[in-house]
Amino acid sequence: MIRTEELLLNVGPQHPSTHGVFRIIVKLDGEVITEATPVMGYLHRGTEKLAENLNFTQIIPYTDRMDYVSAMTNNYVLCHAVEKMMGLEIPERAEFLRLIVMEMQRIASHLVWWGTYLLDIGAISPFLYAFSDRERILGLFNELCGARLTYNYMRVGGVKWDAPEGWIDRVKTLVKDMYNRLDEYHNLVSGNEIFLSRIKGVGQYDAETAINYGLSGANLRCTGVQWDLRKAEPYSLYDRFQFDVPVGKNGDCFDRYQIRMAEIEQSLRILDQALEQFPGDGETMGKVPRVIRPPAGEIYVRIESPRGEIGCHIVSKGKAEPYRLKFRRPSFVNLQILPKLLVGENMTNLVTILGGIDIVLGEVDC
Amino acid sequence: MQHFWDKSLSWGTAGIFVAAAIGVLAVVIFFVTYAIYFERKFIGWMQYRKGPNRTGPLGLLQTVADVSKLLLKEDTIPKKADRGLFILAPALAFIPSFAVLAFIPYTLNLQFADLNVGFLYYIALSGITTIAIVVAGWASNNKYSLLGGMRSAAQMISYEVPLVMSVVGVVMMSGSLNLRDIVISQEGYFWHWNFLPQILGFGIFLIAAVSELNRTPFDLPEAESELVAGYHVEYSGFRFAFFMLTEYIYVYAIASLTTILFLGGWNSPIPALDFVPGLIWFFLKFAVIVFCLFWIRATFPRLRVDQLMGLAWKALLPLAILNIFLTAIGIEWIG
Amino acid sequence: MKGMLKGLGVTLKTMGTKKVTMSYPDVPIQMPDRFRGIQYFEPDKCIVCNQCARICPTDCITLTGKANPDPEKKGKVIDTFDVNFEICILCDLCTEVCPTEAIVMTNNFELAAYSRDDLYKDKQWLYENNRNIREDNNNIGSPKGGAK
Repeated sequence: MIRTEELLLNVGPQHPSTHGVFRIIVKLDGEVITEATPVMGYLHRGTEKLAENLNFTQIIPYTDRMDYVSAMTNNYVLCHAVEKMMGLEIPERAEFLRLIVMEMQRIASHLVWWGTYLLDIGAISPFLYAFSDRERILGLFNELCGARLTYNYMRVGGVKWDAPEGWIDRVKTLVKDMYNRLDEYHNLVSGNEIFLSRIKGVGQYDAETAINYGLSGANLRCTGVQWDLRKAEPYSLYDRFQFDVPVGKNGDCFDRYQIRMAEIEQSLRILDQALEQFPGDGETMGKVPRVIRPPAGEIYVRIESPRGEIGCHIVSKGKAEPYRLKFRRPSFVNLQILPKLLVGENMTNLVTILGGIDIVLGEVDC
Repeated sequence: MQHFWDKSLSWGTAGIFVAAAIGVLAVVIFFVTYAIYFERKFIGWMQYRKGPNRTGPLGLLQTVADVSKLLLKEDTIPKKADRGLFILAPALAFIPSFAVLAFIPYTLNLQFADLNVGFLYYIALSGITTIAIVVAGWASNNKYSLLGGMRSAAQMISYEVPLVMSVVGVVMMSGSLNLRDIVISQEGYFWHWNFLPQILGFGIFLIAAVSELNRTPFDLPEAESELVAGYHVEYSGFRFAFFMLTEYIYVYAIASLTTILFLGGWNSPIPALDFVPGLIWFFLKFAVIVFCLFWIRATFPRLRVDQLMGLAWKALLPLAILNIFLTAIGIEWIG
Repeated sequence: MKGMLKGLGVTLKTMGTKKVTMSYPDVPIQMPDRFRGIQYFEPDKCIVCNQCARICPTDCITLTGKANPDPEKKGKVIDTFDVNFEICILCDLCTEVCPTEAIVMTNNFELAAYSRDDLYKDKQWLYENNRNIREDNNNIGSPKGGAK
């Protein structure tokens, strides 16, 4: 008799396709996964606990480091929560700047996803194509706030810097160029038959499962649920602009791919309108008390980050530091469906599915 | 070279053989050095990069530096590895890859050995490398290596079948397995080359050949994103260099083989250009094929294992058999 | 087949285009003025108000003051001022709260060192780090006077 046994394979924490220090223990029957156990926490830095001893201005640089691919939205969710708690008025120019950088960040974040996803699937060029364009966005952020990744740009009540001379025009050129670049991206891989056969029908789930697992962002919209907080619960100035929420219908990796690519296009649309309506002058900082002390109470604020619904729950006792701060991190929540999706899949599909979820380990472990 | 084979072996002829073998080795190592250099350059250019440009003028010494680094590296053998096989595998992979180069006719007279079964000789020897890869995967005692080795075995065996079948049409048209005779039968204008009458076979051959080389989009055995590096995860230093060398020598062999079987070998595209030496024509065709391999690598994603097997058995093999029938009908009707 | 050929076309076209590679170590990168690099510290301006140390989210600044050696003048002058660049995250908050702009950002970003001890920078080192000092220290967005 031939005896077969299952192979216990430890994928990660150092593995090229886990996008950071993430570990999955998979049981393999041949190359088919029979069980998958994700292990996370290798990048846990205790942001939420540290925040309890920091005042709100000091927490902002910590949020940069949660989802380091999309630091602007993290900045925003914290500032937005505090502002809402204190009932602060934000000057329009500041709000415009926030919205513009958040949409640029969404494009940059999706570009990183696009490049690394294709790298997971085995194509090496898209990664460098995407990064050469993301570089331009980071360069613009660098001009705006002096950093390329950890911006620390927003403050409670406004933004730290006004746009420098000519910055808005440079963003306009970028938006114009991005439309062409997007076409080139589609030419490069979106039609490639090998790529399509790799992602079509892989990692499929339906709307009910997605909602039960609490998925958000493209992971939810790929099942056909039209849920984008920018539309559903407009924050910032999103209710002023025309844009669509792309949805899929099959809930597979292909739909997630298409949605993210379409979202770049929609972000460009929003940017087009926002740059057109950008107010000529005005304050970038609202009237904020010297010490930020939100009134006692609690608040939960959620916005749409590139990865899904990012939420910030603040419990305040009326002090300058939060009594308790909790972030709902979309990567962490979206990742929970992984063990369910992996069972019965091929080893190769592990990276396709994991990449399709779009996690950032800084955010998963927080 | 051929007349030396016909004489009885003496110290003199043996010395000539050894010298010629060293000559071929030198040519091949030169090719590998600059194939790697140009691969990195081309892929760099295709990705908005400059490619290697720091070591030596224009980065020309990059590969030399890389190899010297590999040679100086500590040679590690994992404690739980099967020591004997672990050491054997790189040599076992390299030797057949070098031996297959013996039969390639570069011009009418420049050939190391003129074999009557030239193409079969290639297939027979290159199969041994597959065993070496499985051995490497097994001996490393690493799960990623093992998966890579198993994938490699399945892939190489599956794709050898359509590879051989696709060449049968060429063999039928020229009536010989001897590579020199195959080239001679393609003399004339470029539409006499086999790639036009055998367009189906040519396509199948190219796909199967890329797969045999374990290159993108068929690089599953060493799929970086899932298997880290596949069968050579545990190899470092000189042993790793041997696997690398083997891989690129097969690029050389396959590119030569494609040139000979389908692109008319040393023949010029039109007889009016016959004044250009045959070796240059051979090299040009060879270079185009090698460039295409790099180009594909810069563009395509990787296939999945089941798709890979499906492609070999469900698409390429039936088409190759169809090609044989079509060729037979063609020869019967057109002559 | 069509999609693959399109992709091949894109890569072939890219081969001839301008490259984006920067020759960084040979040609230094010019950062925009607002870039947040290693701080420059001017001891004469410091009034030892301790705000930078208090606002620092990672507690990387330690400073001590001493009485003004000039008996005519009141207040303190800085005695020691150390920044631990092992944990400094260059978040810009210390320069934001500084009321006298004694501590400002520069555009220098090369911090690599062979030893961790080299990353403790003192008053003297920070004072000598006087190239590429940020011109625009516009503190518009800051809550004036820090917090706590």
